[in-house]
Amino acid sequence: MQTASSTSIQVAERAEPASLHRLLIRDFRNFRELRLDLPEAGAMIIGPNGSGKTNLLEAIYYLEVFRSFRGARDSDLIRFGEDVFRIEATIQRDGGTEELAAAFQKTGRRKKVEREGAEVDRITGAIGAFGAVVFDLDDAGLVSGSPGRRRRFLDILLSLVVPGYVADLQRYRAVLAQRNEALRAGRDEVVDAWTEGLIVPGAKLMAARDGWARRRADGFRGYHQQISGGAGASLEYETSLSAPQEDVGWEMRFRSGLEASRTRDFRRGFTTVGPHRDDLAIRAEVDSDGPERDLRSFGSGGQKRTAAIALRLTEADSLREANGRDPVYLLDDVFAELDRERAERVFRLLDEGRSGQVFFTAPKPADMPFRDGALARWRISDGALLDHA
Amino acid sequence: MSAIESLVREFSRLPGIGRKTAQRLTFFLLKSTPEDGRRLARAIERVIAEVVACPECGNLSADSPCELCRDPRRDPSRICVVEEASDIPAIEGSGQFRGRYHVLGGHLSPLDGIGPDELNIASLFGRLENGVTELIIATNPSVEGEATASYLFRLAAPTEGLRVTRLARGLPVGGDLEYADGVTIAEAFSGRREM
Ligand SMILES: [Zn+2]
Repeated sequence: MQTASSTSIQVAERAEPASLHRLLIRDFRNFRELRLDLPEAGAMIIGPNGSGKTNLLEAIYYLEVFRSFRGARDSDLIRFGEDVFRIEATIQRDGGTEELAAAFQKTGRRKKVEREGAEVDRITGAIGAFGAVVFDLDDAGLVSGSPGRRRRFLDILLSLVVPGYVADLQRYRAVLAQRNEALRAGRDEVVDAWTEGLIVPGAKLMAARDGWARRRADGFRGYHQQISGGAGASLEYETSLSAPQEDVGWEMRFRSGLEASRTRDFRRGFTTVGPHRDDLAIRAEVDSDGPERDLRSFGSGGQKRTAAIALRLTEADSLREANGRDPVYLLDDVFAELDRERAERVFRLLDEGRSGQVFFTAPKPADMPFRDGALARWRISDGALLDHA
Repeated sequence: MSAIESLVREFSRLPGIGRKTAQRLTFFLLKSTPEDGRRLARAIERVIAEVVACPECGNLSADSPCELCRDPRRDPSRICVVEEASDIPAIEGSGQFRGRYHVLGGHLSPLDGIGPDELNIASLFGRLENGVTELIIATNPSVEGEATASYLFRLAAPTEGLRVTRLARGLPVGGDLEYADGVTIAEAFSGRREM
């Protein structure tokens, strides 16, 4: 194990990051048709709110996970009055190129993903083609919003870095929907038949999430301290299962948790424990030298934003380790709500030691030159690229 | 509705046939001789008139009971439970099983309103009282197939003198037994385990 992990880190240092080159966006959000040649280093995209600069990042990330990072439904991504959107890119990776395309048609609700011009059989098999991380303008809400957002964060990331996670997630969701329906119908033996099917995939999801939070807690704290100028922080997987009496595995814990909640499940008509009810607790020192506080209920907008950026940098590290190369960085107005000092520290963390392609949106040109000033500067307005700023 | 459109619609109701394929089939028949089309129509009529579900096991056959239930060389003390009659030829093809079958007619799916009463489960437990020593559950390795297996196991396990087994993994997860090859099924049979 030890040898394998140190090898992968060496690969991570050597491998060239993947990058996007030709990009075509058609009838997506407010873009009618946009064709871009993307520079190797990336681009700074400048435009006012509503100009479409976040939509551009959303389109790029769509090719990574084939879903909107803003949680929008596919049908809502189609430009008003149209029936189909399509996004294409040429990905440069491992010394070669690959043509990747995704499209969604409202009529028939059909999603299609193509690699090298051929439609893939299973979309989940095509996720993570280049590796990308989004620093979302709305990330303070990731830290303090509903638990569902943090579960979604974990599910998307772990789908990209843990082999078999997507399959377990799909299986878990399928069994859960059936069990909940059986609970509503109120037939004991039928509910029990579905309980068994929840345990194996559910335990694997919980083990993967818990393992990730444990392994990444130090890295997260480090980033948080660097950005905030010393404030400590922690990550912890928070399960809906009660703490075990002794050290037992997740399968055993989940099994007894389901047994213990059986009566309550029947009364409420749904499954009340399991990975679909869990959360990621994010804590930080919000007062100088004070204790760590749960950011779901404490902390200013700036403090939540700081924790969110540390979380995204941690996500980038996970991707870097799993893929053996730096991800593409999609930074949506990342310096908003940060004071000058914090913004400069974030800028350095995003620039130094990271070579992944950067797409960086801002309302006005920033004076912090990413990647040695190699980023192109584009101005965007009403879904069209105006000029090279 | 035109005659052409009505046939296209009938074809496209068949599993795995989209509208395009349905049109292709329709135009293929129109280009063929009238006798080709009549032969197809007669074969469909005949299958509907003659084939019935076996009252014993639920297999589809022109005989009642079916030829598998009537075959005296087959071991009546072992019953293999499948979701659909169409799963039987695949298991027969593996050459590993010489007992009797029981067709459930589907799997449990609360979301689709399919509970135990919608499946041939009561008749299965009636059969178990007649000296059956092994119940082999061969439902599909899908989410629904596994839950159905688990349900049957809980009900059958207390029966004295009855061994309840499940086909070994190795069948493609989420796949249909119907489409698995003979070798895979033979391996799943020989590796079947107590539940
Ligand atoms: Zn029969």
